[in-house]
This record gives sequence, structure tokens and C-alpha cells, in this order.
Amino acid sequence: MTKQGGSKDDSRAGRMDRRGFLAAAGAAAVGLAIVRPQSVRGAEANSKIEIGLIGCGGRGNWIADLFKNHGGYQFVAGADYFADRVKGFGDKFGIPADRRYTGLSGARKLCESKLDAVVIESPPYFHPEQAMAGVEAGRHVYVAKPIAVDVPGCLTIGEAGKKATAKKLVFLADFQTRADPIYREAVKRVHNGDIGRLVNGEAVYYCGDTWGNPTYDTKNAEACLRAWGVDKVLSGDIITEQNIHALDVASWIIDEAPLRAVGSCGRKARSGSGNVNDHFAVVYWFPNDVLLSFASKQYGQGWDDIGVRLFGPRGTIDTHYFGSVSIKGEAPYAGGAMKNLYTDGAVANIAEFHKSIATGKVDNPTAAPSVRSNLTTILGRTAAYRGKEVTWDEMMKAGEKLEADLRGLKA
Amino acid sequence: MRPSNDVPRPVLPRCAPGRWAEVRRDKARRGTRRTSTRAAAWTSHPASAVLLVLVWTALHAADAPRPGDVLTNSIGMKLACVPAGEFAMGSPAGEKGREEEEALHRVKITRPFRLGAAEVTQAQWKVVSGGRRGKFEGENLPVEDISWADAVAFCEKLSKMEGRKYRLPTEAEWEYACRAGTAGRFAGDKLDDFAWYDANSDGRTHPVATKKPNAWGLYDMHGNVAEWCADYYAPAYPAASVTDPAGPPEGKARVVRGGSWASFERGCRSASRHSSSAAYQLKFIGVRVVMELAP
Repeated sequence: MTKQGGSKDDSRAGRMDRRGFLAAAGAAAVGLAIVRPQSVRGAEANSKIEIGLIGCGGRGNWIADLFKNHGGYQFVAGADYFADRVKGFGDKFGIPADRRYTGLSGARKLCESKLDAVVIESPPYFHPEQAMAGVEAGRHVYVAKPIAVDVPGCLTIGEAGKKATAKKLVFLADFQTRADPIYREAVKRVHNGDIGRLVNGEAVYYCGDTWGNPTYDTKNAEACLRAWGVDKVLSGDIITEQNIHALDVASWIIDEAPLRAVGSCGRKARSGSGNVNDHFAVVYWFPNDVLLSFASKQYGQGWDDIGVRLFGPRGTIDTHYFGSVSIKGEAPYAGGAMKNLYTDGAVANIAEFHKSIATGKVDNPTAAPSVRSNLTTILGRTAAYRGKEVTWDEMMKAGEKLEADLRGLKA
Repeated sequence: MRPSNDVPRPVLPRCAPGRWAEVRRDKARRGTRRTSTRAAAWTSHPASAVLLVLVWTALHAADAPRPGDVLTNSIGMKLACVPAGEFAMGSPAGEKGREEEEALHRVKITRPFRLGAAEVTQAQWKVVSGGRRGKFEGENLPVEDISWADAVAFCEKLSKMEGRKYRLPTEAEWEYACRAGTAGRFAGDKLDDFAWYDANSDGRTHPVATKKPNAWGLYDMHGNVAEWCADYYAPAYPAASVTDPAGPPEGKARVVRGGSWASFERGCRSASRHSSSAAYQLKFIGVRVVMELAP
């Protein structure tokens, strides 16, 4: 990133010192907390991590409360294309007027302002650009799933994660399941061999209409942006924007990228606005001939599940985002029920983000897996759109970029 | 985080002085001529006493249990010496197959002990506990299909038989012994040389001690059957250095360590952690015992 004016350079020098202090204070807290946590907290009155929120819509405001509740963060800036959304967030969190950024350039301005970390909760189409802007500006980055909507975007995220590590910054992709100890234990057991070599399995994401019927007009860019969840390009379609939860768990368990996929999709039962599909069906081939059948829907009522079930010769791993996680077979694992993974997972990730910043842990283990699972959704989407088999290599070589029509939007 | 090539090297002292009685017992069993009676006779002359001290010291230095020294107990079980020392428990951030629960931390083991050079065999189990245990049948195959309580009971019965203390290893003792001074993924270069695991086991256990031992004379630490440990399982290691850790005071599952005939390579790593409900009897889990040394 090009350096800005002298005053900003000066402030950055100051920030580096403060980050060093945060790391040192955090490391001390880890050691001292065992003895007297209250005194440690008191000694760190000035050590809250200063963060800015990019994307002040529904999930942005929801997760902002979780960051606040953690106690180790302080919001100092907010950015959203829409002024009314920034105002709502800014008023709630006491953000000064000059730290509220709007328009398409708002996110970059926020990244370049005086803060420690950025939290990206904007439409997925913008995640790669904003995450990279954060890293280039020297900020720790917390980014919501999906991390991108296309192949170039995924590659940008992968690069941003590596660059963050090189710059000693924390980069965390917020997948709730990967933070859950029961999911982790179950997946670890499969990776260690408890159910044997995987043969095949299934992943499903069944839910009702998530977005309702927002105003959506392809001739009105701002309307599309407000209704990004029902826009194929801005959201990545339901297989990337929502169904990634199931495909992320499946690719985590299989621990490979798929080799090829064939599938189909459509929009038959969805009555609301927008152009996203309402169902997908994809078959994936993974290395060692592991087959995964994937199905999803986003309409109707009667059956909701975010489930993954994979079979090996000695057992079955069975996971449900809103249910239980277990292994049945010769080496069983009782696992347990997910209580409120949607919130608990985010809370765990927020705590992990803080701990990583405080202790200087910058190996950023969520970056590469998030890229792989995101690309897995894109492979399935590409195969479904084309209605024929697509290989991973073809997808990567083509590097297709989705282009949103941003004409008419304010810079 | 520490880079992978900056892992603290373990401190590897010999077994502590003061273990003379243990060694003497070993030597006596092997038919050596040094006895306390003979030594007592030498002390009747002052010059002999000086000579005795010199000889005793020399013998002591030569015979104190060291890593690799093996004692054979009354049921034919071989037990290797594991010295006191320090090591880095867990795995570095870059280790292939690493799990978050393996945070590197310094551990001090203050007391030397003896650890079964091999997993308890079905023949040994039969002598101590009576009856055959194991889904796979064979006298020299490791016992499996035993619960944690079964393993503890075996130790208690063996302790009564021999009049000395046998018990399960703690998780820290187990990893310390498995590493035998190494800090990498395995205690040797090529896992196939050291372990029966998924890639070479043909889906079953194998006679114990038929692969290479580690540097301290311990066989099958990376495979054949996984092994019950004494500790309750906790996903998080202590944040700081610890001495003789024994796990949390309570928990839902017990620690199981070491790969098994069914494990993939990553599950056989020195740092790889497993756990199981204590009641489960699985054909993947057996036992290896600690024999405590006199203080």
C-alpha cells in the first residue's frame, strides 16, 4: 500500500509501538492470569484492541455486540456503503463522526485510519479486496464466511493470509464449526484413522427462505447492494454464501480438495426477489475415490439441517450444525449436542482472535482451509451452472471472476 | 510461536544416582557375582574400605540404570529405564498433522522410572489377570479389548505379585518416553521401521517388539495398539512449564496415547493425543505399565 501523508506515517509508527505493547501485555496476562486475573485486567486498562467494523448491516451489528461483550475490544470506526447503516452502528457504539466511512471507498479509508484490527462483515463479493486492504494497512483481519465469491477472490484471501503471517498480523476466517471442541475432536479422530479410509458420504444444507423478499432491481445498483443476499454475484449464490457451512465441514473431514464435480441447480419454489437459486445437487470426487453427494435447498418448510455424514469401513462420522456430532462404529465417540453453534462459534473465534493478537500467534491456521472449502463451493457451483462435469484444475486455470455491476454507486 | 526448528531440546541426564539397589537387583537376577554380603566382608580392613569405595563408585557409574537398560520381571516382562529429565511436550506450529491441542510447553519429569519395553502381551495378561483378552488371538500379541479399569486392575495385581508399585504412565511420562530425546514427528526417521499402523498392519495387531525400538529401548510406541494412560483427558495443555503433570482432577474420558494398527500416520505422531471413554473396550487400545523405582 502506498504510504499516505506524514502525519499518518507518524501515527503508524506509534501504532507499531502500541501493537508491541499489546502483544507483551497479552503474553504477560497469559502467564499472570493463572494467579490473579483481576489484577491483570486492571493493569491492562489501556490495552483494548481497537477495531473497526466493515459492513454495518444485520450480521455486522449482531457480531459487534459479541466483540463488545468479550471485553477486550473497543470499536473506534465503522464503514458501510450506506450512511444510514453506519449511523445506526456508530450511534450505538459511540463512534465519532469522522470515523464513520461510507461509499465504496469507505472500507479502505477505515483500514488506513488509526486502529489495530478490522472486522469484515460486508457482502462476500467485497471480502477479498477489503481483507487485503486491511493486511496491507497493517491491520489484523477478522473476516466472515464466505471469504470470497470467485476463484480470484479466494486466491486473494490466500495471499492475504500469507502476507498477514509475514507481517506478524492475525488473520482469522470465521467458521463457527471449526471453533467447536466437539467438532474438532470428532474430525481429529477421523483424521487419526478411527473410522478407517473414507469411502463416501453426504453433505446437506436444507433450510427455508433466508432473505425474504427485499427490494431488488437490477437497474438500481444500490437496491441490489442492500439486497445482496439474493444476488448471485454479490453473495456467490446459496451454495457459496450459505451452503459453505456443510461443504466446509465435509472438506475439513476429508482433508482434501475435490478433483472434480458434476451437478445441477435451479430456482423453482422460491417466491421472493433476487436471482439466486433455491436448490443444488452436486456429486464431488475427492482423491482416493472418496465420493461426496451434496444437496441443498433454500425454500419451503418442514426440514432444516446442516449435516455431514461420512463413512469408513470401521465407522461413521455424523455432524449436525443444529444437532449433535458423533462417531459410531468400532471406535465410537459420543460427542455431544450443539447448543448454539451460530453464536458460540463466533464467540470462540472472537476470543481466539484476541488471544492470537495478544500473544503474537500469527500462524493463521484458518486462512488456507477457508480458501479450500470456499473453492469447493465454487467448483460445485460452476458444475451446476454448466450442468456438466468440471475439474478442479479446469476451474483454477480458468480463474473466472464474477463482476458485479457497480455502476451508479458512490465512490 | 516458535519456528519448527527452534524447539527446545530435551535435557537427557542419565538415570539419577541412588538407583543402585535397583541395578543390583537386576544384576543379581542375571547371575552376577556382586552381592552385598561380599561387599560387607571387604569393609573389615581400612584399606579395603577405601578400595571398596573406589570400586563401588566405578561400578556404580557403570551400572546405574541408563536409558536402554532393561530389567526383566517375574512374568518375563521387560522394563526399560527412563531417566528423569525435561522435554518440550506437544508439537510446533508447523508440524504436519498437528492439532491445536498440542501446544508446546516445557515439562520436567523429576523421577526416573521403568516403562514396559513392549505393550503387555496376552500371555502376560493371562498370568496376572487370568483368562485371554484380545479380539486378535496370539500369546505374543498385545492385549486389547480392555477397559481403563481393566488396565488399572492389571497393574494392581502385578504390584501385589511382585511387591512393588506398577501403574499406568501419565500422559507426560508417555510422551517423554516415546520421544526418547527426539523432538520431531516420530522417534525415528521412517515410521514404517518403528510402527505397525494403517499402512503396514494388514488390519490387525502384530507380535510385540517386532519393529525397531526407540533410543531408550521402547518398542511399538507409535503403533500396534494405542495405550491407556492414567490421566483424565483435557483438550488444553497447561499454558506454562509444569513438573510431573498428572492431568486434570476429573474429566469425562481418559487419555490414550500412541498410534494403533488402525491409525493413519498423523495419529501415530509422538505428540498426537487421543482419548476414550474409560469403559470402552476396543481392539485398538492396550496397555503398557510403569514400574516405579524406589525413592
